[in-house]
Amino acid sequence: MDSLRIVPGRETKPATVQDTSNSFGLHDALKYGPRSLAAEVTKTSTVRDRLENWEATQDNMKLQMQRQLFGLHMPMRILMERKIVSQNPHMPILPQSNLHLDILMGRDEVLDCADFMGSAAEMVQPMDIHADMEKKLRM
Amino acid sequence: METIDIARLKSGEVNLGTSIMAVQFKDGVVVGADSRTTTGSYIANRVTDKLTHVHDRIYCCRSGSAADTQAIADLVHYYLQLNTQMSGSPPPVHTAATIFQKFCYDNKDALSAGIIVAGWDKEVGPSVYNIPLGGGLFKQPWAIGGSGSTYVYGYCDATYRDGMNRDETVEFVKNTLALAMSRDGSSGGVIRMCVITEDKVERLFVPGDQLPKFWQGREVLGTDHKDASLASAVAMAVDA
Repeated sequence: MDSLRIVPGRETKPATVQDTSNSFGLHDALKYGPRSLAAEVTKTSTVRDRLENWEATQDNMKLQMQRQLFGLHMPMRILMERKIVSQNPHMPILPQSNLHLDILMGRDEVLDCADFMGSAAEMVQPMDIHADMEKKLRM
Repeated sequence: METIDIARLKSGEVNLGTSIMAVQFKDGVVVGADSRTTTGSYIANRVTDKLTHVHDRIYCCRSGSAADTQAIADLVHYYLQLNTQMSGSPPPVHTAATIFQKFCYDNKDALSAGIIVAGWDKEVGPSVYNIPLGGGLFKQPWAIGGSGSTYVYGYCDATYRDGMNRDETVEFVKNTLALAMSRDGSSGGVIRMCVITEDKVERLFVPGDQLPKFWQGREVLGTDHKDASLASAVAMAVDA
């Protein structure tokens, strides 16, 4: 993890069970039925991988730079602050915003699509509060 | 499994097919480059500045993909500014070169960047570091790079001497780049040079019409014969 990667590399993960996994990380046959090859073997596009990993790669590079310049304490403190601020006592499924986290991540003065596109249309999926609380507390 | 050919540019990318050079002398270094940036056969910029400032007395010469080298040079510039704040004094050239090398090596599958780092620092004096495509670091008294450099290795090996003074070094760089530009299709335009010493950085500019001229070649067919009838012979027509 000591590398100064600027852009995401090509990650070849040909199979995944993420979408149907239960809290143990295994395929949840009770909810989703038996495993199927078609659902598991995923050939994701390289552009999609690059875009999905973009922010994390840039962030890692900056933290790595800070580690090399200031010492191990610097990225540790930064990540610690982010973690403190992310602790949220509320139910995860309710609509929430975290201004403090946005400030720490440098997003407080940035407008993204989600900020100005209509938010009322978002609550389309039924709120499964039990499943979400389970996921959160198992952390 | 697709193989990644790092030597080939991604399609549509702008190429710094180039001739770059850096030579150290007693009091400093001279860095020089041509000024052509190509996208395929179109010259996107004929007055490019490939000599990039990364710190007060440290410059880098960029060759390869223009986007990749600009991104790395920006990051190293940022890094060195932070480094200067932390240490309180200008960074050694070795530090700058090592940072370039880390970036080039860690990202070697995604980058196409050949960089020469040169400058002056008070610990060591002048130094030149060559970082070719794979991300290795080589300290040398003089270094050439880019597509045009292949044509002038012989000239440089034959001409370089230790202990040249500033004017001789500038002359050496100018002649080398002019020869490379005259033979390499991806190099041309003007010659830009920087002379970096303890006191200052001096920028020199040689426009395209004042480049040093060497053997230009001439058409030989039909001109050398003493016998007039043979001299008027027409060149053989070749079927298309």
